[in-house]
Amino acid sequence: MLELQRNVVFGQFVDTESAIHRMDPRIKLAATFVMLVASFVIDDFLGFAVALALLAAIQVVSRIPLGYFLRGSGFFLGFLVFVLAFQVLFYPGEVSDSGYLWRWGVLSVSTEGLRAAGILGLRVIFLYYVTTMLMLTTSLVDLTNGLELIFGPLQRLKIPINELVLVFVIAIKFVPIFIEEVERLARAQTARGVPFDEGGAIKRARRLGRLLVPIFIGGFARADVLTTAMNTRCYRGGRHRTKFRQLSTRLSDWLILALVVGWMVAARLV
Amino acid sequence: MNPGEEPPILELRGFRYTYLEGTPKANEALRDVSFSIRRGERVAIVGPTRSGKSTVVDSFAHLLRLKRGQVFYEGEDVAAPGYDRAALRRRVGIVFQRPDSQLIEDVVGADVAFGPTAAGISAEDTRRRVEESLDALGLPYPDFRLRYVHALSGGQRRRVAIAGVIAMRTPVLVLDEPMAGLDPRGRRELLGLLRRLADDRHLTLVVCSASLNDASLLCDRVVVLSEGRVEMDEPLREVLREADKLAALDVTLPEPVEGARELRKLFPDLPADLLTEEELESELMKRLGVA
Repeated sequence: MLELQRNVVFGQFVDTESAIHRMDPRIKLAATFVMLVASFVIDDFLGFAVALALLAAIQVVSRIPLGYFLRGSGFFLGFLVFVLAFQVLFYPGEVSDSGYLWRWGVLSVSTEGLRAAGILGLRVIFLYYVTTMLMLTTSLVDLTNGLELIFGPLQRLKIPINELVLVFVIAIKFVPIFIEEVERLARAQTARGVPFDEGGAIKRARRLGRLLVPIFIGGFARADVLTTAMNTRCYRGGRHRTKFRQLSTRLSDWLILALVVGWMVAARLV
Repeated sequence: MNPGEEPPILELRGFRYTYLEGTPKANEALRDVSFSIRRGERVAIVGPTRSGKSTVVDSFAHLLRLKRGQVFYEGEDVAAPGYDRAALRRRVGIVFQRPDSQLIEDVVGADVAFGPTAAGISAEDTRRRVEESLDALGLPYPDFRLRYVHALSGGQRRRVAIAGVIAMRTPVLVLDEPMAGLDPRGRRELLGLLRRLADDRHLTLVVCSASLNDASLLCDRVVVLSEGRVEMDEPLREVLREADKLAALDVTLPEPVEGARELRKLFPDLPADLLTEEELESELMKRLGVA
């Protein structure tokens, strides 16, 4: 049976009430941003080893079960390995003669290619982990508030931040709804004789195509209803809205941010 | 079971089910459900939302990750390795709550033909089945064959969905909330059509609903689910006699039963197991001393 909710962890929110869940979302977003930047500037294995130690610490503190995270990342990791295999086989960089381990026409496996693919893989895993963890530990409300407050000052430059954040949040919010919808459709179609739980990978992928049309129709219908609902309730941007729950940053939040920055700088410098 | 006795067509034995088991989002839907349905029976599965009705429906056609020893079709464990799930789904027809999820093709005729075609039935026979099924649901074949599914009304789409299942000639027909969202007239018509279908084809009928209002007119046995457990499993009249218990479980009662409960303030001995308004009327007449 098609079980996306079981197998896709990206975009889910799981409340374990850990210290990370309780952090100020603005600080969490800032720390995420720092780690994203770090993933691009760190460029050796030792640096990533140091950085990954921080991820391990985050994993423990967040109390998100590791098994759940890994099982939900299977699709992603499989795809990553597939892409990296190409990166290795068609490595375009300079390779010294002693670097080749295997060669056949344009295809080759070289130590340089393996190293480049390894760094790229670590970088992508790092990016994936950090963003997934942010979403696992931050409720949608927190995420919206945090983003609006961080980018709020840009509103003065006539950049419609509230609207942009709203669009982003609605997009994220639709993901689990879509996933549920796909599962429901797959079940109903299986019952009618489209066997979603049998056959090879290509057959399965082609059957997924059958779901696209009803999913899109449903998506448009839903967007339509949402627009009408917002209009009838006189929605007009967030600038004029007040917040019931005010965010507050504690000293511990700043300390964590400082720790993340320090750790990432250390990872870059080692 | 005695030797020689026919096994029940559907059976659940100590069935428990947890959605997303083993993840932080695990959600226990069924805790311990056992009951069996014999061939030709008409059973209502009733309970409030989140009582586990839809999970039971999905299990009948093996649409969930099932463990062994819990769900049986004609005495065979459907979760046993090598069990032919496709064949099971050709025997247990399900009409889901939202017809849109099970309509596959864009055009009515093609959609009703989908199941038989997928099952490898000849084009000629398929055509006959489509005509027969659409006609049986009050959608005349010549008028509806080429209509677009998305341009139909909600009630018509539900009938197309039912026709698509009927065309498979499944011995078991499972309907999940078949009357949801229909106007009173559409409801009456569909009730009549379903009753006729079940009679003509000797179907084993399972109707899931939060309301006994409709199910009481289609079924003669009621399984009441609450929080993932079987709360009652009795013939319709017996269950209706416990109208107060049903009301406490948040099951919508048939209108005559609801009326009788109100009227008990005046006539404390008024029975609750009334199926039709006529029955309520005659009971009232008796008490008013009118012949």
